[in-house]
Amino acid sequence: MDDADDVVQLPRANAAWYGLLLCALVLLGVGGFCFAWQTQRGLITTGLRNPGYGGAAWGLYIAFDVIFSGVSFAGIVLTAVCRVFSIQALRPITRMAPLMSIIAIMAGGGTVVADLGRPIDGLMKLPYLARASSPFYGTFTMVASGYLFSSVVYFILDGRADAARLATTTRPPLSLLYRLWGAGYRDTLDERLRHQRATLWLSLGIIPLLFMATSTLGFVFGIQVGRPGWYSALQAPAFIAMAGLAGTGMLVLLAVTARKFFAAPIPDATIGWLGNTLCVLAFICLYFTIVDELTVGYGGPAVDRAVIHEIVAGHFAVFFWGFVASLIATLFIPLVLYIRGRVSVGWIGVAAAFATFAAANKRLLIVVPSQTHGSLIALGTGNYAPSWVEFGVTGGLIGIAMLMAVLAVRVIPLVPRVPVSDGRKSMRPQFEWRRSAATLGTIVVALCVGAIGLADSFRLFSGRELDSKIPFGPSLCALGIMMLFASAGIYELFPGRVSEKRI
Amino acid sequence: MSRRNVLTHGLASIAGLTGTLAGSKTALASLAPRKQHRRWGMVIDLDRCTACGACVVACRQENNVPTIQSTQDTRAAQIEWMSQVWREPTERGGTPEMLPFPCQHCQNAPCVKVCPVGATYKDDEGVTAQIWDRCIGCRYCMVACPYARRFFNWVEPSWEGSLVQLLNPDVGTRPGGVVEKCTFCQHRLQDLKERAAVEGRALLDSELQRLPACASACPARAITFGDLEDPSSTASEQARSPRVFRLLGDLGTEPNVLYLKRDRRL
Repeated sequence: MDDADDVVQLPRANAAWYGLLLCALVLLGVGGFCFAWQTQRGLITTGLRNPGYGGAAWGLYIAFDVIFSGVSFAGIVLTAVCRVFSIQALRPITRMAPLMSIIAIMAGGGTVVADLGRPIDGLMKLPYLARASSPFYGTFTMVASGYLFSSVVYFILDGRADAARLATTTRPPLSLLYRLWGAGYRDTLDERLRHQRATLWLSLGIIPLLFMATSTLGFVFGIQVGRPGWYSALQAPAFIAMAGLAGTGMLVLLAVTARKFFAAPIPDATIGWLGNTLCVLAFICLYFTIVDELTVGYGGPAVDRAVIHEIVAGHFAVFFWGFVASLIATLFIPLVLYIRGRVSVGWIGVAAAFATFAAANKRLLIVVPSQTHGSLIALGTGNYAPSWVEFGVTGGLIGIAMLMAVLAVRVIPLVPRVPVSDGRKSMRPQFEWRRSAATLGTIVVALCVGAIGLADSFRLFSGRELDSKIPFGPSLCALGIMMLFASAGIYELFPGRVSEKRI
Repeated sequence: MSRRNVLTHGLASIAGLTGTLAGSKTALASLAPRKQHRRWGMVIDLDRCTACGACVVACRQENNVPTIQSTQDTRAAQIEWMSQVWREPTERGGTPEMLPFPCQHCQNAPCVKVCPVGATYKDDEGVTAQIWDRCIGCRYCMVACPYARRFFNWVEPSWEGSLVQLLNPDVGTRPGGVVEKCTFCQHRLQDLKERAAVEGRALLDSELQRLPACASACPARAITFGDLEDPSSTASEQARSPRVFRLLGDLGTEPNVLYLKRDRRL
């Protein structure tokens, strides 16, 4: 029997759901209060201070921005990898993973807003003033638009079949959402084949572009020659590995929670696969850590060695050894399970918790020590400790993420019912020149718009002017990226012939 | 009209339009005054500096640099466009030295590269300028600056009571949530340029030497300002001294602030 014929059911509101909802609302309330406090009194309410004088200009907010971005990256990339390589075992998490990406990138955006001295100015000025020479540019364009939009497009396209089924079994107002989501879906063979093709090409686009996007996050730190401890060619690849670890860990935690409290049909094999992924990523992260610390600690400049010393044996030793111990636990728990040939959901959940803890520690270790102890000209000594306001605002952002996830549990079928399609199948959808032309046209326009936006962001048309030549030029780059991903949607949703037979 | 005609006429039109635009650009360029390439810089003679701190006070007063109540918690939140830094002695038996320390106005400025909105930029005369109102407060320039010469307004600046009357009307105050820094006293430079233009003369090195507030307040005349591209300027002459060095000179930032010291191992 085809799984697609199963009735899609949404979990009921149980005690766990209400508990999580309450927790999210409390966090949100505390976060809202703290943000209002910070906005009223300025960033002096945080533990952040001038670097060089013993303070750190970036702290908990930026660390969590990097964590959220990493989680977002891993979610959508895992989905794409699952699709490209037709990994059936990972299919059950290909609904949760892009959803996690969408939620995480929104929370990550929140941390940046919380960190800005003038958040409203930031939101208004970046779309038309952003400069491509700043490593932040990649965050504003590729990370924000790429992660978010690729996840949204994949999520919508992949959920249409389930939404169409739910539209017939639910009542308004939810049924209206499902009708809109699954509009036009008729479950024909051609439609399925088109979906397979669209998600395959979408995934093939997602993997390289998002690797590039995450690298730009690494460049934010890695290309700063004046900040000992940051300047390293390893930053970008290490960021990708750590993002993968953080995201996979979070995904395992979400999958285990969904299984335990909401009876999500996620098989042991899926959790086992994710556990193995955690093991490999933990090994890579550990390797990068050893290489980085050894290279700088052995023969680096004195200031760099001073930073390493502070990390390994100084102020930050607790975080560092906590990170290393967590990484070792993340590596060995799934490894032992693998050697013994069994899958233990509980133990893999523990490994995932260690992975998340390791990622949080590592992000703090990247962001903070180079500022407090890595000044080439030290004008004062000090340390950075997040204030209650920072903890509160960060908690509030976690609360927002939690709230979105808790609401999504009741509205979105967490596990797709259709098995993953095999990209190597020889069956192809019927050729329709209008559909192909519309898709190709979107791709060409997207590339042109993106290239023009990027060139304008580099101020190539501006001569000696400070501003970009085209109004909202920098936003065009983001628009190009979004259109590129949207082309998959155009291909799948373009109105076709109605004579196709249902399966 | 045939396809060949359309192509011919079209290409001719484009060529004509390009020529007209290029011509008008050339004509406009010829009308504009010839730009003399300048590079403003500062030379600080540490052998003359007495560490009196007058430069620090004068800078603070001239540029309306805000002060926040100093506590253990806010110590690292203070703003100092011009600081004094103690340097350890480089020779046995030597005494610690004081280093007047403004923004280094690097030619290859890391802060300029990283600013996401162009709130800080290199102007045509080598100054690392800052547009306060454009700054969004991301503080990337602060973490990128190897000299820690950028300061964030962690609170909304305020001047209580009669202190408001001490504010310099030629310099705007900055709002909370933006980064600020030394500007080489751009307002003074602009004022001097305008006066020279009205009088129809060139800028004189003698009036430039002590132009910034820190230089004019220095009783030991240890700070000299001038055009480093003008070989006849005092600053440029001093910059050719064998005593000259740049802070973190091997970093590649190429500061426009140079130091003079007999013992260059500093």
